[in-house]
Amino acid sequence: MDERFVLVGARTPQPPPPKELPWHRGKPVLAMAGLLVIVTGCLCCELFIPRDPAYMDLVHAMEAPGPDFWFGADTMGRDIFSMIWHGGRASLLIGFFATAISTALAVLFGTVSGLSPRWLDELLMRLTEIFLSIPSLLLIVLLQAILGKPDVLSLSVVIGVTGWTSVARVVRSEVRRLRSSEYVLAAQCMGAGFFHVLRRHLAPNFFSSIMFMVVMNVRSAIASESTLSFMGLGLPLEVISWGSMLSLAEKALLSGAWWIILIPGAFLVVTLLCLTSVGNWLRGGGDQRGSNL
Amino acid sequence: MRQKNPFLYYGGKVLSFAVSLFLLSLAAFYVARLAPGDPLVSYYGDRAEKMTVQEREQAEARLGLDRPVHVQYIRWLEGAVRGDFGISYKYRTEALSVIAARLPNTLILGGIGFLLIFTGALALGAICAWNEGNLLDRFICKAGTVVSCIPEFWMSLVLILIFSVHLRWLPSSGAYTIGGGGIANRAVHLVLPLTVTVAGHLWYYAYMIRNRLLEEIRADYVLLARAKGLGRRKVLFRHCLRSVLPTYLSLMAISVPHILGGTYIVETVFSYPGIGTLSYESARYQDYNLLMLLCILSGGLVILCNILAQIVSERIDPRMRSGETPEVTDHG
Repeated sequence: MDERFVLVGARTPQPPPPKELPWHRGKPVLAMAGLLVIVTGCLCCELFIPRDPAYMDLVHAMEAPGPDFWFGADTMGRDIFSMIWHGGRASLLIGFFATAISTALAVLFGTVSGLSPRWLDELLMRLTEIFLSIPSLLLIVLLQAILGKPDVLSLSVVIGVTGWTSVARVVRSEVRRLRSSEYVLAAQCMGAGFFHVLRRHLAPNFFSSIMFMVVMNVRSAIASESTLSFMGLGLPLEVISWGSMLSLAEKALLSGAWWIILIPGAFLVVTLLCLTSVGNWLRGGGDQRGSNL
Repeated sequence: MRQKNPFLYYGGKVLSFAVSLFLLSLAAFYVARLAPGDPLVSYYGDRAEKMTVQEREQAEARLGLDRPVHVQYIRWLEGAVRGDFGISYKYRTEALSVIAARLPNTLILGGIGFLLIFTGALALGAICAWNEGNLLDRFICKAGTVVSCIPEFWMSLVLILIFSVHLRWLPSSGAYTIGGGGIANRAVHLVLPLTVTVAGHLWYYAYMIRNRLLEEIRADYVLLARAKGLGRRKVLFRHCLRSVLPTYLSLMAISVPHILGGTYIVETVFSYPGIGTLSYESARYQDYNLLMLLCILSGGLVILCNILAQIVSERIDPRMRSGETPEVTDHG
């Protein structure tokens, strides 16, 4: 711009300088890579694990990490390195299944509640509140007691059935916002069914706002599995998962075998951390406006 | 917002509390009766298996187990109104007295933990908002994210491994040493469980405060206050923090059950004799009468806290009168 025509004190609109952002800017590359390694490692673990994870080599029980047992052996002589990769399958599977179940429930419940008349909506939300009021640990224990002996599937069902409320609330408020928009009304006028409206008009709109919570639900499902299995309320010792590996911790504490506690736990925490950063990224960045303070 | 008759207002709240509690107890009762496992076994132990059919029937009649479930529920409800909540099958005494014996321990742990979280989150959130984008802010955010990803039971294990097994500084279990139960002794036993409880929750609430404050300091009134010449500190603490507080208070009221739910796991890992360990044991030993009562009690507390949160936010913040309580999302 010509120097002579600049008004003093006036802001001139500056075209933003074209900046080439590197492709990885703002993306949790490290977390995604970590997640990728862990998931593929667990899925293809047969290719590289040195031992049968279920084989109990009692001679080497409680062996410290060394060249023979990379991550040591647990109190029953199983190789921890092999168990981690093999056990990750159960943990990840439960995280995935439980979230699928809870998301399906949440979307259904939230949409029904959002589309229904006010009294029904109130009632459904009150029911959700009561459901939410029971500590989830107690609820899981009670449900598991009804379903019988825990395995991967029943544990996912239990965790999924108890974990849908927060997503359902978000879906409900989004649906309430969307339900009077013209395209939904038009579709309903033309006789579109509940599931058609849900799939074509509502879901694409609330999808982005629940995506972050869904990823966080995977995280809390994996954490629940490990907590429950650790306490002896989830998967039994024979079914290897990160949680059931840690349920040997009490014996390990008495003998100071730190590797039985620290190594599987570290894997668990790294997985949860990766999921969290991906989730936070999906939630989107913060406020871009400048601070007034 | 129309002015409401206070009698109607509080009456409505009490009524909705009562209805919720009733539904909760109904659900808990049915689920407890549906659950597998023989109550007779937990009451009589091994003897239950050697009973003849006749003895069994007598025992069931004595415990009221021979009636249909809804009759059992009505009988239970009649007792409950009089303060008789049935017996714990495992401890063979009144369920309420079993709980009462353990309750103070949980209240100490949960109460101190709650206070620390409440004040700590406020302080941390304010520090982060003050230093927005700084090294300190970014460090606290990163550290908080990492800590919030660690499952409570594993954090407990690691702390036990370090401070009890290796360094031998702190005890790993119990609420006091048997025989000597002085205050110092109790305090030493509280350190590790308290650390885990606080560390597990602190970050979530601190982050909440930080985000609310960051939204707040972008408001126009902050610009005005600064233009008038008010200092940064005064603006942040007198204006921004104050307008964030109502939301925070109602959030904290809702958080009580979350924090309690956290102490359940912590108590179990540290074998701390509180409500959490009790519910864990009653689940393991299929003492459903006790477990049901625990469910109802903690559920009732949650509902009570929700209603309190609503009242608090409606009382102190006129903006909330027509709205809903802030959403509390699941944080694992």
